[in-house]
Amino acid sequence: MEFKLEAHRIVSISLGKIYNSRVQRGGIKLHKNLLVSLVLRSARQVYLSDPCPGLYLAGPAGIPAPPPQQLGEPAAGPPAGWGEPPPPAAGASWADTEPQPEGSAVSEAPRVGDAVPEATVTGVGVVPQGGAADAAKAAWSRVEGPRQAAAGEAEGPAGGWGVFPLGSRASRRPCGCPLGGEDSSGTPAATPRAACCCAPRPAEDEPPAPPAVCPRKRGAAGVGGGPTSFPAPGSTPLKKPRRNLEQPPSGGEDDDTEEMDTGNVANLISIFGSSFSGLLRKSPGGGREEEEGEKSGPEAAEPGQICCDKPVLRDMNPWSTAIVAF
Amino acid sequence: MKCFSRYLPYIFRPANTILSSSCHTEADIISTVEFNHTGELLATGDKGGRVVIFQREQESKNQIHRRGEYNVYSTFQSHEPEFDYLKSLEIEEKINKIRWLPQQNAAYFLLSTNDKTVKLWKVSERDKRPEGYNLKDEEGRLRDPATITTLRVPVLRPMDLMVEATPRRVFANAHTYHINSISVNSDYETYMSADDLRINLWNFEITNQSFNIVDIKPANMEELTEVITAAEFHPHHCNTFVYSSSKGTIRLCDMRASALCDRHTKFFEEPEDPSNRSFFSEIISSISDVKFSHSGRYIMTRDYLTVKVWDLNMENRPIETYQVHDYLRSKLCSLYENDCIFDKFECVWNGSDSVIMTGSYNNFFRMFDRNTKRDVTLEASRENSKPRAILKPRKVCVGGKRRKDEISVDSLDFSKKILHTAWHPSENIIAVAATNNLYIFQDKVN
Repeated sequence: MEFKLEAHRIVSISLGKIYNSRVQRGGIKLHKNLLVSLVLRSARQVYLSDPCPGLYLAGPAGIPAPPPQQLGEPAAGPPAGWGEPPPPAAGASWADTEPQPEGSAVSEAPRVGDAVPEATVTGVGVVPQGGAADAAKAAWSRVEGPRQAAAGEAEGPAGGWGVFPLGSRASRRPCGCPLGGEDSSGTPAATPRAACCCAPRPAEDEPPAPPAVCPRKRGAAGVGGGPTSFPAPGSTPLKKPRRNLEQPPSGGEDDDTEEMDTGNVANLISIFGSSFSGLLRKSPGGGREEEEGEKSGPEAAEPGQICCDKPVLRDMNPWSTAIVAF
Repeated sequence: MKCFSRYLPYIFRPANTILSSSCHTEADIISTVEFNHTGELLATGDKGGRVVIFQREQESKNQIHRRGEYNVYSTFQSHEPEFDYLKSLEIEEKINKIRWLPQQNAAYFLLSTNDKTVKLWKVSERDKRPEGYNLKDEEGRLRDPATITTLRVPVLRPMDLMVEATPRRVFANAHTYHINSISVNSDYETYMSADDLRINLWNFEITNQSFNIVDIKPANMEELTEVITAAEFHPHHCNTFVYSSSKGTIRLCDMRASALCDRHTKFFEEPEDPSNRSFFSEIISSISDVKFSHSGRYIMTRDYLTVKVWDLNMENRPIETYQVHDYLRSKLCSLYENDCIFDKFECVWNGSDSVIMTGSYNNFFRMFDRNTKRDVTLEASRENSKPRAILKPRKVCVGGKRRKDEISVDSLDFSKKILHTAWHPSENIIAVAATNNLYIFQDKVN
């Protein structure tokens, strides 16, 4: 269970790095992105291989993952030394290179993070890399925040949240759906969307936007135009640099309800994974190159060639275009 | 060679004041350091595309205690930022590598490269200037021919020493990916440049074409699994070179075997320890630097946590492995978050191949004596570097009770990293680049 959280955290950080690499000066660095994609793949494998995907609180320890002691800092909180402000270069480059919308996302991410009840302050503070991880976390939090806030009380007794040492990032679940819906009486399950707060915003709700930096304004309720009854902290108009994180294909929800909570994460990972062209392949092939590697050479892959078993992904033009633009 | 302390491999002391730029900006961050073949000159490149060359003072009888200090000799702008309009990419001007050519006449030649373009620079001195032209006056203005009544022969008169750097060759448009290495061949006629996926062989005289000698780009980029991280020619055999990969492997190639050296002659790889497997195993196994020993018998590789020495005759494992900062192994996740795990540390041999040196965080750098197996951690900082003071060894406390002079792992400053170091080819003088500061240390003189 801890491994899954760690994996989740690493996935979001990795995605943030890849996203951030697009705006780094000097172009995309092939080596670094290859390494990040390898980490992403490993984390994703661990995440998806968790035998009890939804049951964070009751999950048995049987995780066929690498041995625990190698997975970063599973039990220790962020060391004090890591609460240092980000390296000036990183902070400066983030401030200089990031366009305004993402900058506002950065500034909002801590707010969201702080507002999550179970989040520890250090969880926000430990993100040294400024915007990239923040953007990723912000995107995640918008998916999870309202639901989590609602389901917080339900999970409290189980004590699952409080013990997570990994800070705000860890305390966010990708989707609090099944627990909140099944176990909690306090959850506003009356809403049709209650089954999954991460329910995808239908694709047609999203006006196609130019790729890269154009944010998409969210509704007042944050996620999915959902009911404002969710006491979502910080979910008032938030600019989102990565719209598609909240937009897993509706086709992706065809999984059984048991998988629903991870379905969206898996979908989101699939979205990114498919754009990495091979991360999802079963055949062992080692690390995969992102689209930007292809783009930098003449043999750029078309978005349609992305290995994807969800046709609806092809309809996600803005993101595909963004990937191709990598 | 001087006899060094019995207690430590070397005792170093600062030779002179620290050389640094007055204002600390991103552009001042030193990105490469290299001594020339005699050690007389020391070149540094920075992120702003500038090259600064230091020259060692001649020892004089009057100043015995100031033994050969390094002073600025020449400064020039090597590379400028460029923009690739076709791909909408900015090309950084940061100098990735500098390599000196052996001196063959009075001028000095060096190669400097950024991500895309290699340039050959000629650095020459001028201490005389011609005077007494007939058609021009001393300021260079043309004289009215009507006023010229006599002819004179121009003569050379001494002037203040001027060091000028001129670009003699520009080797451009040969790399699609980012150049990470250049290496001058021992034939002094060719050199190679390596990017993430390809290695090209150049002749110094020909700038409009190069030979591709290694190409690991897969037909389908989706199947890319590793990239080239460093490459170097053998110091004596002009047909042999090595290149390292992001997977922690080293390939030795012989250019006599075929024109395209995709098939290696030797393959150096150490099996991974499965007990150390983690999310970040691949990242920390990526080799950031590879260097031949001066003898040509060994190669040294640097990955994130270790330095390894390989014997060219044994491919299945290194003969020596040195832990640089193993206390970071439990911090890899945090280092991944703040991108420190992607730092590319370099490593260097001393002149006799008996000591190896590499950098770490908190402005620490480490030396390992291969013979005595002793190692030392030193710090490059202004507080510790008063002239003629002896550098005190530092120690990182990894757990338990911290002693008085030790530093705990959590107190390390990861923004202060020493990525680039250089060792004088024959003497115990080292140059250590700490962000925008260059420290030069010499061994203790008895």
